[in-house]
Amino acid sequence: MVKEQANWSPYDNNGGSCVAIAGADYCVIAADTRMSTGYNILTRDYSKICQLADKCVMASSGFQADVNALKKNLYAKHLIYQHQHNKQMSCPAMAQLLSNTLYYKRFFPYYSFNVLGGLDSEGKGCVFTYDAVGSYERVGYSSQGSGSTLIMPFLDNQLKSPSPLLLPAQDAVTPLSEVEAVELVKTVFASAAERDIFTGDKLEIVVLGASGIRREYMDLRKD
Amino acid sequence: MGSGADSERTLYPYVTGSSVVAIKYKDGILMAADMGGSYGSTLRYKSIERLKPIGKHTLLGASGEISDFQEILRFLDELILNDNMWDDGNSLGPKEVHNYLTRVMYNRRNKFNPLWNSLVIGGVKNGQKYLGMVNMIGINFNDNHVATGLGNHLARPILRDEWNENLTFEEGVKLLEKCMRVLLYRDRSAVNKIQIAKITEEGTTVFPPFSLKTYWEFSAFKNPAASAVGSW
Amino acid sequence: MKLDTSGFESFSTQIEPLDGIVGDFSAAPAFELPNSTDFDGFQKEAIQMVKPAKGTTTLAFIFKEGVMVAADSRASMGGYISSQSVKKIIEINPYMLGTMAGGAADCQFWHRNLGVKCRLHELANKRRISVTGASKLLANILYSYRGMGLSVGTMIAGWDETGPGLYYVDSEGGRLKGTRFSVGSGSPYAYGVLDSGYRFDMSIEEAAELARRSIYHATFRDGASGGVASVYYVGPNGWKKLTGDDVGELHYHYNPVTPNTVEQEMAEAPGA
Repeated sequence: MVKEQANWSPYDNNGGSCVAIAGADYCVIAADTRMSTGYNILTRDYSKICQLADKCVMASSGFQADVNALKKNLYAKHLIYQHQHNKQMSCPAMAQLLSNTLYYKRFFPYYSFNVLGGLDSEGKGCVFTYDAVGSYERVGYSSQGSGSTLIMPFLDNQLKSPSPLLLPAQDAVTPLSEVEAVELVKTVFASAAERDIFTGDKLEIVVLGASGIRREYMDLRKD
Repeated sequence: MGSGADSERTLYPYVTGSSVVAIKYKDGILMAADMGGSYGSTLRYKSIERLKPIGKHTLLGASGEISDFQEILRFLDELILNDNMWDDGNSLGPKEVHNYLTRVMYNRRNKFNPLWNSLVIGGVKNGQKYLGMVNMIGINFNDNHVATGLGNHLARPILRDEWNENLTFEEGVKLLEKCMRVLLYRDRSAVNKIQIAKITEEGTTVFPPFSLKTYWEFSAFKNPAASAVGSW
Repeated sequence: MKLDTSGFESFSTQIEPLDGIVGDFSAAPAFELPNSTDFDGFQKEAIQMVKPAKGTTTLAFIFKEGVMVAADSRASMGGYISSQSVKKIIEINPYMLGTMAGGAADCQFWHRNLGVKCRLHELANKRRISVTGASKLLANILYSYRGMGLSVGTMIAGWDETGPGLYYVDSEGGRLKGTRFSVGSGSPYAYGVLDSGYRFDMSIEEAAELARRSIYHATFRDGASGGVASVYYVGPNGWKKLTGDDVGELHYHYNPVTPNTVEQEMAEAPGA
């Protein structure tokens, strides 16, 4: 018999873009809601953002099935943590956990690109950015996913803060108010949706602040 | 990825079923699939049932490798039996079945031994309509309408255009027939023996197979190369 | 007689395809391997897909006062700069540093792992581990994963009971003792500056300047290196970060813009 589809790949890229911006006392995490495979749009309303702990939110793009498995893994580990310590995991702790979880799949990686946003123990906004096998870094803002190459330079241009490696150290907090940050995220996604076919349909924005968590939505291009 | 030497897993599908199309409608879920079973490009079987009720609240449709689908049905039989043995008045709904299948599919891809299917899961429980799908590598989602295989290309644009939440049963069937007709015209592995199934709060009904009325006299069918200039 | 209580146990709903899904989360995690007939091919393709961060200049050298360690801070995925602020000098403990070249995740993870092992050694033996010992721990681990696609090129620099120590360790199993190393895509450029300017009896200031200048020149000629040039010094009292300069600004530090004196002003030709 002629081989119709002789091969299969355990991976797929379902596209999507994620952005996170940390401020002095808030953190904005955003992602579009389109899920695609190749030129097909599978669904226009799939949330890429999940809340892992009270003050810790992850946005992930890449291969949806892997992302899903990763999420469930982190949820389960966080549940055990809560039972053992009787408290919520801090965002920096979750960041290290995510890194290790990704690295333990070093030889069969989770094809997922993540940004983790939240508030640290002092209530300051924090953003952690990852590669697929777990190298991570704390930054002031970041973007991951199919539109990251379009979004990141724009954020650099608007927000570029002094590198944390500089000596003498300079204050590296994003100089935006919460409202300005949300507006910037909306602009950035509207732009990405113009030129990235995997980004569009709807934007989901999560804002973590001292007062709690808030969600916002904005329509994006659907073509 | 992964060469096939000395392998005991499915390297490629043998007998396959083509698209499944499903929508939410006013009272529940409607699903449609043809009954063809292709052996490569040969239409080998002509009455394969690919829409099956699972438990009390769920309807399952499958495209892809038929034997893998039958294995999945065996898993589900055992799952439902185990659930019934509790006899506690609770039963698995479509959401639970979908989640189970998602884990099974993803787990098999992790073992590099996938079940070669795209599955559509629909159902109604406690007044909640549910429609989702999962494919051979574990990608899964919910939507108001879903389609597998070529249906993703040919049927979903129609559904995006014409679907609305308050479709009656008749309107829903009409819409699915429209999708199946387009698939019949343009999907070479589709056959004109179609099943439609519905699931509502009252239960599942798989309707007897029927044929679509077709019209092959369109000029584009009679002379497909007419408008194609060049190397055709 | 022992009672048969198996009837009280709940029915198992865990049937064939689900075994192995429910992982033991409290157990120590282990590396999962793909069940592929062609591990090498899979590894190659998978790594190509995830495109881990790469491209680096790092250097370290021993001199009279101790060890100087320096690195750039750029990470690129192909042609795209994925970060300009990578911490490539990893602080293993207050007396030991590691440098990062190759796969960012591989370096980060195994250096952290090494940090844990060094601390455990300290607790077990009531004294700090030697640089020799630490570098060998790392080399042995990396060697056990040889051929599995890890990508690590690191220098372990520190101060122990024997004085300053410097080792180069890589994922192919190599481990070299030395006084002068540079690792990464920008290393040829860094070596050029470093070798021509190196003297054992430099002062700390001179050594720091040489390290910084070597990194700067590497970032100038190597596209995959850039960002911030960080310089660390390890002496008898542990490590200290000496400088961190944006190489964009360093360029004008090394190449000051001198205003050209205008030789002749252009003027309207009279009565043309």
